[in-house]
Amino acid sequence: MGEKPDVWQGTLALMVLRTLETLGPLHGYGMARRIEQTSGDQLQLNYGTLYPALLKLEQEGFIRSHWGVSDNNRRAKFYELTKAGQRQAKKAAAEWEQTSEILARFLNPAEEA
Amino acid sequence: MPKLRAFWIRLAGFFTPGHKQSDFDDELQSHIEMHTEDGIRAGLTPQEARRQAVIRLGGVEQTRQVIRERRGLPWLESLLRDIAYGLRTLGKHRGATAAAILSIGLGIGANATIFSMVSRFVLRPAPMGDPSTLLTLYTTHDGGQCCNHFSYPVYADIRDQAKSFSGVAAYNELIPASINGSGEPERVWGQAVTSNFFTVTQLPMLLGRGFVSGEENAQEIVLGAGLWRRRFNSDPLIAGKPVTLSGHPYTVVGVASPAFHGVDQILFTEFWVPLGNAPVLAASLPNPSDRGQHYLVVVARLNPGVTQQSASAELKTLASRFAKSYPATDKDIGFASDQSGSLPPRERSAMLIFFAALSVVVLLVLAIAGANVANLLFAQAAGRQRDMAVRLALGATRGRLRRQMLLESTLLGFGGGILGVVLSLWSTSALSRFRLPAPVPLDVSIGVDWRVLLYSFALSLASGLLLGLAPAWAASRPMLASALKGEDALARPGRRFTLRNILVIVQIAMSVILLCVTGLFLRSLQSASTINIGFRTDNILMMSIDPGVNGFTPQRSADFIMQLRERVAALPGVVSAVATDIPPLSGGGRSDGFRIPGSPEGPNSWIITELFMATPGYFESLGIPRLAGTDFGSETPTGPRVGIVNQAFVDQVLCGRNPIDAQVDGAGTMFRIIGVVGNVKSRTLGEETRPIMYRSLQQTIANDPSFMGYALLVHTAGNPSSAAQAVRRQIYNLDPNMAIYNEETMEQHIRAAFFLPHIAAALFGTFGFIGLVLAAVGLYGVMSYAVSRRTREIGIRMALGAKPGAVERLVLRQGLVLTLIAVVLGWPAAWMLSKLAASFLYGIQPHDIFTFAVVPPFLIAIALVACWIPARRAASIDAMKALRAE
Repeated sequence: MGEKPDVWQGTLALMVLRTLETLGPLHGYGMARRIEQTSGDQLQLNYGTLYPALLKLEQEGFIRSHWGVSDNNRRAKFYELTKAGQRQAKKAAAEWEQTSEILARFLNPAEEA
Repeated sequence: MPKLRAFWIRLAGFFTPGHKQSDFDDELQSHIEMHTEDGIRAGLTPQEARRQAVIRLGGVEQTRQVIRERRGLPWLESLLRDIAYGLRTLGKHRGATAAAILSIGLGIGANATIFSMVSRFVLRPAPMGDPSTLLTLYTTHDGGQCCNHFSYPVYADIRDQAKSFSGVAAYNELIPASINGSGEPERVWGQAVTSNFFTVTQLPMLLGRGFVSGEENAQEIVLGAGLWRRRFNSDPLIAGKPVTLSGHPYTVVGVASPAFHGVDQILFTEFWVPLGNAPVLAASLPNPSDRGQHYLVVVARLNPGVTQQSASAELKTLASRFAKSYPATDKDIGFASDQSGSLPPRERSAMLIFFAALSVVVLLVLAIAGANVANLLFAQAAGRQRDMAVRLALGATRGRLRRQMLLESTLLGFGGGILGVVLSLWSTSALSRFRLPAPVPLDVSIGVDWRVLLYSFALSLASGLLLGLAPAWAASRPMLASALKGEDALARPGRRFTLRNILVIVQIAMSVILLCVTGLFLRSLQSASTINIGFRTDNILMMSIDPGVNGFTPQRSADFIMQLRERVAALPGVVSAVATDIPPLSGGGRSDGFRIPGSPEGPNSWIITELFMATPGYFESLGIPRLAGTDFGSETPTGPRVGIVNQAFVDQVLCGRNPIDAQVDGAGTMFRIIGVVGNVKSRTLGEETRPIMYRSLQQTIANDPSFMGYALLVHTAGNPSSAAQAVRRQIYNLDPNMAIYNEETMEQHIRAAFFLPHIAAALFGTFGFIGLVLAAVGLYGVMSYAVSRRTREIGIRMALGAKPGAVERLVLRQGLVLTLIAVVLGWPAAWMLSKLAASFLYGIQPHDIFTFAVVPPFLIAIALVACWIPARRAASIDAMKALRAE
């Protein structure tokens, strides 16, 4: 059985922020499915771990939530980005890009002169 | 910022648990339903779809746990649980907890009380704008001899020439005046200040303003907040209104901030008038153009960026310049400076040493209290090893156990801290109530301010943590196996006299000494009340007036007193009315050297004699017997000087010669003695009988006036207080602006004379009590520890047939041995030390048999009570339980 990588610490928050940034208000289940899809089913996301991350982001003021009705007429709790969340999404994305760029240099070292 | 926001939300969540959790359950529910629906849509059976949904969600309970912790603050919850557990544990050992809190409380209370003095006199800055740049200047003389006031010309030269200061102000420290307002006139003390005083000190004003330039001589006044409240009903529109000060109209310009009673924080003054106007109130002020008259205090505001050092250097330059320009007055002059509001330089080092010594003593008291409580905790820790071992075996970490123990001792520390603060609230207010017998108004009240609270908090925390360290460390590392079996894992084979025992013996011995001294002072207080003071104390009403304040000439003052006496004597219920300068037993007075004229000069030829003024009838009114000669009559200031002396004067100055018509030399003035009266106590209760010379008030008032006013003594037929209103009315009829002060009956006055025996008894009573409590707690702790160590031994004894009574006696005997050793050591020490207290005792011997006989049995009784609690516990040991763990 092929092991799928777990979600790395700290990256889940960024994934949530980015997902909400592109798709707008979304409930937890939809978000979990979307993250799996976006990763091309490469990530094994334990859906339960999503909720503590959502609570943390909400407590920090980056997202807010309200109860609404889903596409299939079900009651669900929807999350959306706040102003601070939009700023944070951009900031975290930029930071992550920089980190991965640096790491990339180690993984593919340039030819020695 | 987001982290902080999250913290507050979680803190709020901690206080409102419950409904949020059901919200999350709803969310999970909707998640599962949506997932199931998708599964069904993909072709799974409803059961299978639901199974998949739950599996993909993962451990629901774990998630819920994470969410719960994330909502609240888990560490806070576990801390509160530990505190609750700690409180329960402490509650279970009520006796030990009470003893521990009481002794730490006494220790912290003593520290907080002493520290409130330090805070008040050393740390508190003056309530003026930026106290750090305000300096009080002093002049020094003869090469750095500290410290004198300034003359006006020297002040003016510094003000005009010094470049270090943005402003220099001066004031005269004390001016008495009578002030009107609501009710009868009142005598108050104020200061005369230069017009820039309020600008230089940057004093915040409650109302109106301070003086401004151009008001040097204005008849204007700034009121103290207390005076404004008391006399003018806190009139918010008082600025601009007139008030009457010693009969002169003054315009109020402002009210000073409530905390301000004068720059130096010890004198208590309540009004400020311009210096140039001060001669209206105090005619005796020196001439401002005289460079040799030092009567002003100078305060200076440093320019921004100028340090005290560079200012001192400039002042030094100025001093040498003055010395050259004015050699007659300014030779060897120098200037010193100090931050305003700090202790006066002359008394500072003595007071600092006093405070430091007191602080060391009370810290020592706290250390002893702490050692006792540590003993007690150690005894408990020994008893709790089973408990600890079980918790360790069940998986609690040692760190967790240590935290628990530390938490308990910290709780004890805080309990003691709270008790200590309460005690210090009481003790500071009791200390502030003691009126210092000083002729000028002083504010030496102390209180518990934020610095004291902070200090007490730190002390409680520190003592709580220190107390818990050793027991916490020891209790959290019992040998698991042996502790579970009930063996004492802390016990070490010990010597018979451990440090613990020696500490207790020293404490009890010291408390023997303290109790003996306390007993002596209590006995002294008792016998002081039987001292024969030599004059009548019942049915005498006293009131003081100071006509000089209202600008009366001495002759007018004398006439005023004469008229007043006649009018008061005519009142119904009044037997007689007489006057003096200072009532006897006022703590101080005037004195001079007397001798027989022509006797050879020698170191002992002048006998120090107390001086009192008296009017005709004074001796009859006070019930002082006349032994020979006559009373005063109608003496005049220009007539030959006469005097009446007491028996001690006849014995000591005249050496028993016939006193009547004898001439005596009083520091150069010749007196003819016309009468002899009985001895009275003149200044204090404890004094040896002193020679006294009474002079005629009519004759003396002109050329030797009293600076503290005159006292009218009214002998009444009935209750003296009920005559007060009528007597006051007579004074106001003569002059409505005359302020009356020191109104009291002779009985109240005598009570104040008991100040010394009272305060000695109160102080030593307190110390004796603290010492006794500490020693008792110490003994209790040691005996508790001994019992807890010997639990199994006692169990074996009881299993072998020992009766509970015998076990009780076993423990009591051990405690009694410690106590007896201490008494044997302490009693002779107390016997020797009591001689030091001899000069403070009234009417009893330092080796007072009663005291020394009562203290040892009393102490042994207390010791028995302290040992009785652990002894009872030892006797109630269940032999089976104690041995079952074998």
